[in-house]
Amino acid sequence: MIKEENSRRSFFKRAAAALGVVAAAAGTKNLIAASASSAESSSAKYATDVAMQEKAVKENQLVVMTDDEKKQRLDDLLNFHRQEIA
Amino acid sequence: MSKVSTKKLDEPDGLEQGRREFLKHVCTSSVAALVAAPAAAGAIAETDNPDADVTVAEFFQGHFVLMSDEEKQKAIARLEKRYSAQYRKKTTVSNVEAPDGVLFGYALDISKCIGCRRCVHACVKENNQSRHDPEVQWIQVMKMPKGNIAFTAENLEKGYPEKSEFGDYGVQVGGNAYKTAGLSTEDAQNYYNDDLVPDRDFFYMPVQCQQCEKPPCVKACPVRATFRDHAGVVLIDYNWCIGCRMCQLACPYHARRFNWGEPNLPAEEMNPKTHYFGNRPRMRGVMEKCTFCVQRTREGRDPACLEACPVGARKFGNLLDPDSDVRRVLATKRVFRFKEEFGTYPKFFYYIG
Repeated sequence: MIKEENSRRSFFKRAAAALGVVAAAAGTKNLIAASASSAESSSAKYATDVAMQEKAVKENQLVVMTDDEKKQRLDDLLNFHRQEIA
Repeated sequence: MSKVSTKKLDEPDGLEQGRREFLKHVCTSSVAALVAAPAAAGAIAETDNPDADVTVAEFFQGHFVLMSDEEKQKAIARLEKRYSAQYRKKTTVSNVEAPDGVLFGYALDISKCIGCRRCVHACVKENNQSRHDPEVQWIQVMKMPKGNIAFTAENLEKGYPEKSEFGDYGVQVGGNAYKTAGLSTEDAQNYYNDDLVPDRDFFYMPVQCQQCEKPPCVKACPVRATFRDHAGVVLIDYNWCIGCRMCQLACPYHARRFNWGEPNLPAEEMNPKTHYFGNRPRMRGVMEKCTFCVQRTREGRDPACLEACPVGARKFGNLLDPDSDVRRVLATKRVFRFKEEFGTYPKFFYYIG
């Protein structure tokens, strides 16, 4: 006599329940993603990202490096690199 | 009285029984899911379904860098199969390692750049970026009035503490003491749409990932999906990226791009020669950016933007090699740095020849 809780049927029932949970989670994720993408078009969001880059460049400035600075910069880069691969 | 006490004594047993049952169910379900997932993954991976954007097997794969060689080969075979079916052409996904003894650097001559945006389009084509709605571009060309430049050769080395007749007090004096010797980007504009370039009154400055030696994006990534390889290039494992955009926020140059929607890459325009960390087609919800064309540079070729430049404004090379183009630029040209670098040590240099 096999107990109900140990039977193959109950195992499949639990497996199906687990798969159901996973499927429900995936469905919810897709639903959230779909609603997020419909709220604002991808192009508009991309344009916002690009505008952020433009703003970052505008707020910054290019400064000429002196010979000492150039040497220092190169030394720093090479030292950091050596430390990184060590 | 006795009735109440019996109930109190019985309850914990009932609870214990319930908890045990619950835990048993949870354990069985977990085991079932663990058994079912790889089986399902295998089954889906076997199919040639071109609509399957990300297979279950891909979903469950680990960080590529931490995989064994066998796992890497399997992951690559899976991707090649999917891309070949999806884009209806034989697609290769390379896994070539970064060469040893190399630290890649890039230099761009602002005085030569004519703002033609050929580099931008070559980059889009080479790196399988989304073509429309939106066309994702990793390079942005900024147009800046030439009047913004402020230095003269004789004043270049001035503006630093100098000795005076009164002694060395560390006081900043000289030509650059009161204004920065450099190029103001204040009036830069990205969306210029000229009929003819170059406009003689303007400089053009292409902006892309600066490949920082101390990249803040790498520090910000909560899952280490973005990392610096041993040739100094910052890369992304697209399958490991969770799309949180922390790296985008951390980047002071805003050089990263996020796939807000499903990328639109027509099959006929897809470049089938790809690299796992480079130009393989990406999916929605992951970050991407310039990789110095890792699929090319790891094989000893130049990046696509450099090849496309009609005026030779772009130089690429090994910073460890004193005879490389980049090192020569650093040694002999007027090289700029960003005023605010936030200690990131970019390996992308702007210069005037």
